[in-house]
Amino acid sequence: MLENLFVGTADWLRSLLGGIGFLPTEIAESIVLLVKLVAVLVFILVNALWLVYMERKVAAFMQARIGPNRVGPWGLLQTTCDIGKLISKEIIIPKKADKVVFLLAPVLIFLPPLMVFAVLPLGKNMAALDLNIGVFYLLAIASLSTLFFFMGGWASNSKYSLLGAMRTVAQMVSYELPLVLSLLGVIMIVGSLNLSDIIAAQEHTWLIFTQPIAFLIFFIAAVAETNRCPFDLVEGESEIINGPYTEYGGMGFAMFFLAEYANIMVVCAMATIMFLGGWHAPFGLTFIPSWVWFFIKMYVLIFIVMQFRWTYPRIRIDQLMGFGWKVLVPLSLANIFVTGIGMYIYRAIGW
Amino acid sequence: MFGKGLVKGLQITWKEFWAPKLTVQYPEKQHTVPERFHGKFVLDVDKCIACGLCANACPNRVISLNKQKVGKKQYLTDYQMNIQYCLFCGLCVESCNKDALHFTKDFNMNQYFYKNIPLVLVRREAPAEPLEEPAMGGEDQPKPKLKPQAPKEEKVAKPAAPAAESEAAAGKEGQ
Repeated sequence: MLENLFVGTADWLRSLLGGIGFLPTEIAESIVLLVKLVAVLVFILVNALWLVYMERKVAAFMQARIGPNRVGPWGLLQTTCDIGKLISKEIIIPKKADKVVFLLAPVLIFLPPLMVFAVLPLGKNMAALDLNIGVFYLLAIASLSTLFFFMGGWASNSKYSLLGAMRTVAQMVSYELPLVLSLLGVIMIVGSLNLSDIIAAQEHTWLIFTQPIAFLIFFIAAVAETNRCPFDLVEGESEIINGPYTEYGGMGFAMFFLAEYANIMVVCAMATIMFLGGWHAPFGLTFIPSWVWFFIKMYVLIFIVMQFRWTYPRIRIDQLMGFGWKVLVPLSLANIFVTGIGMYIYRAIGW
Repeated sequence: MFGKGLVKGLQITWKEFWAPKLTVQYPEKQHTVPERFHGKFVLDVDKCIACGLCANACPNRVISLNKQKVGKKQYLTDYQMNIQYCLFCGLCVESCNKDALHFTKDFNMNQYFYKNIPLVLVRREAPAEPLEEPAMGGEDQPKPKLKPQAPKEEKVAKPAAPAAESEAAAGKEGQ
């Protein structure tokens, strides 16, 4: 029953629209797709709100504090309250800013995570769109957010914003490489770019056990990709105030802020699908629905990302670049090489 | 091994995550206030002889008191502290000869309106006729000559009990 909750809802909607009769199947299908995408949007926004709260709680707990606990039960409405405050604030546009781009950047920043989540299988048969080249699409879209950060930083016409934006581009471009290369090992083993196929291939053995180094590289690069501590040079409060967001106030800032958490979610969901078996239940615990397993795995990874933030100090820009190009890229190339040799050996043995 | 420190750091934060939290949620709960805390003032009106030593001792001239002569004694009618200027040095409490002025543990003297800030410890009308004058006066008359030496011992013995009581009461109110 619970297993098919969302799939069943979609089927019910489909049959309902079919029952009306006069609608062509194409239109009925596109209405169902629209409903799915709206559901994804709501899901992302609610999760982003929750993640802001969770981040504050995790931070507090690691510092022997309690964290937000006044607004609503256990402070659960704290972020809702904050968003309400931010919406009510004036949108200040700097005099010499490029107005169109300046206002467009926070609007578009939510686009990449939304587009990515449209293809992610969140449970058994639970991808809103099952793309054949899922991984390719995912990587292409996920790296798009660089552009919107740069738009925001450039349009603000402020030296701190521009510096932060330049850092974003430098960091994201150089960490995109190990991110993609580490996934190559997975794709070689599975032999498909379809996300559902990749998950299906992990039914018995999660790929984290066959590709542990790739997982490490992927996770480190993913943390860098989302501009999280210890790679949060883009924001770098102590150096460049707030990076690309410096000139933003009110809801513009909130959009960037929520997009950061949406990006974390995307990246952790990607890691779950690629390495942790997606929605497959470990130890045969199949009585728990597949989508619950997906969320558990995703949230464990998100927790680890948050723990990173409250454990490690920020690294320098030259260390960041050095680590990316001198350690992660060669390591991921070596991983591909070893994976390829391993596959040939297995094939020669005849597995 | 390379990367050992990273794992160690994560272990520490993980342990800290489950450790008991130190936050005391103030309005509901409160840390215990130390014995010698300098908080709100209380004046034991029956002990006060309206000598004005406290007002003189105050470096900020916070204390203002009015008195009237009723019969032969000074009668305290008004005792007010402009607490917004008080630096809680305690010189007034130390200077009090009769041990009438005390600190309590209550530190919350916030007011919504500025005019309510001054701490009014005594405000009363002086009686027209001295009521207990004969009895008190009879005792007081022979004493003044003994005062410089004798009262000191009395003073040490007396204040301990009432002071402790008042402080304990204040502590309960605070919590």
